[in-house]
Amino acid sequence: MDLGIGVAILLAIWAYIGIVICLAPNLSLHEPIIAGAVTGLIVGDVKVGLQVGASLTLMSLGMHTYGGATIPDFQVGAILGTAFGVATGNVDTGLAIGISAALLMIQLDVLGRAVTTGFIHAADRYVENGNFKGVILMHLLGHIPWGLTRAIPVFLAIWLGQDAVIAFTNWVPQWFMAGMQTTGRILPALGFALLLGQLPVKKYLPFLAIGFVLFAYLSVPVIGIAIAAVALAALYIQMKGGKENA
Amino acid sequence: MPNTDKKQMSKEARKTMWRYIWTFQWSWNYERMQALGYAWSMFPILEKVKKSKDELIAAMQRHLNFFNTQPHVGAAIIGATAAMEEEGADEDAVDSLKVGLMGPFAGIGDTLYAILTRPIVGVFAAGLALKGSMVGFWLMLAFGLFWGFGVHIGMFRLGYRQGINVVSGLSGEGFISRLTDMATIAGITIIGGFIPSILGLGTSLEFTRPVTVDGVTESVVVKLQDVLDQILPYAIPIALVGLAYWLLRSRRWKPIPVLLLLVAIAFVGSAIGFF
Repeated sequence: MDLGIGVAILLAIWAYIGIVICLAPNLSLHEPIIAGAVTGLIVGDVKVGLQVGASLTLMSLGMHTYGGATIPDFQVGAILGTAFGVATGNVDTGLAIGISAALLMIQLDVLGRAVTTGFIHAADRYVENGNFKGVILMHLLGHIPWGLTRAIPVFLAIWLGQDAVIAFTNWVPQWFMAGMQTTGRILPALGFALLLGQLPVKKYLPFLAIGFVLFAYLSVPVIGIAIAAVALAALYIQMKGGKENA
Repeated sequence: MPNTDKKQMSKEARKTMWRYIWTFQWSWNYERMQALGYAWSMFPILEKVKKSKDELIAAMQRHLNFFNTQPHVGAAIIGATAAMEEEGADEDAVDSLKVGLMGPFAGIGDTLYAILTRPIVGVFAAGLALKGSMVGFWLMLAFGLFWGFGVHIGMFRLGYRQGINVVSGLSGEGFISRLTDMATIAGITIIGGFIPSILGLGTSLEFTRPVTVDGVTESVVVKLQDVLDQILPYAIPIALVGLAYWLLRSRRWKPIPVLLLLVAIAFVGSAIGFF
């Protein structure tokens, strides 16, 4: 389908809202699944949005903006990935674009976080003069650099990029598309590895094994694994607590 | 007694809470991070208790000092300092509470949010969304609403009621550490099951080998995946996660190089017909 300038504007607004609501109150509108699904709704295929968003979510496990650190922008990745996935009629193409966009956006996140320094300096001056209305303004306008560093790239990529992306996908050889497809399936391994790196895996290794056995050998559905996991955790805490109280 | 559980929030405290919840990090910047959001959220209370404009200016300048914590759990800090400012507490006590708690609360909050709850809900939601189910979407949104309103409001109220005793209120009876333990164990168990369920990667590689039966030589097709499955099911996903984990932990690789290596493995693997 043709995306056009109207879609470009709508998606830019969606990107803007997503990042500002992420700053506060953080309702998860920037989460790739939500960013992707709503983009899918706008461009006419929610399913593509859910799939692109899901793959990006799995890659982002264990990544977090600790203390304001910059990580790949999976929100913009999900928006662009979904839009181009629908435009080209190929989820894997969309995902490849989404991953690339998420990585390229790192620079713009740094820019957005740096420019807002100007607002707090202005607020300092307003406080000094007792002009508290000015302080309010500086705080509430502080989100503009955050929003624009997402909205502008999304707008430009959709508005200018569509023809190039479609031309590119018509041109790329089969082996490249196959490689991209496998990439999408392989990258969640990174998310899992990052996450495991932050958990005390060595201490709780038996639980990792139990979860694996439940799925791989006993074919327990994921809901069943979740229930078993919570039960195991509760059991462990009870038994540990019992010893301490004795 | 000011610090009872029944303590009602003043009109100004409610204003502070909603300003904090809706806009806290909008002006986040590298220099003083969440400082401006903190000062603006606190303004309704300061405006009420400070007698002169000069006092108000000085109080705002104090709250414009560097501040950064995990916003949801950190709501207890602004709740506590809001109560202290209302009671006319010593300014040094307010400032040192802020400085003393922002680090530990960031640690607790980031662990609960980014390491424990978000990945578990995220993996679940992604598993459903990959199949095109909207339930994955609603699950993620419910998670956002729980933290964005539930935890924010709950922690602010807790802090406001406890005031300067917020630390003992939060760590009372080891609640946080038990919660963390439980979520960690449940999380690790779930990840153990999810690694093979999400990364359902198999090899399509097969080779033929001559087998002689009763003097007749026939060629038999051997599927590599079948051989692997007899040794360990889902051996390939485990090997890939293991490789990434080893590079990150033992070899101290940064995530992006690991990502690029995995992309290379995907391309080479699909080019030679392995995947």
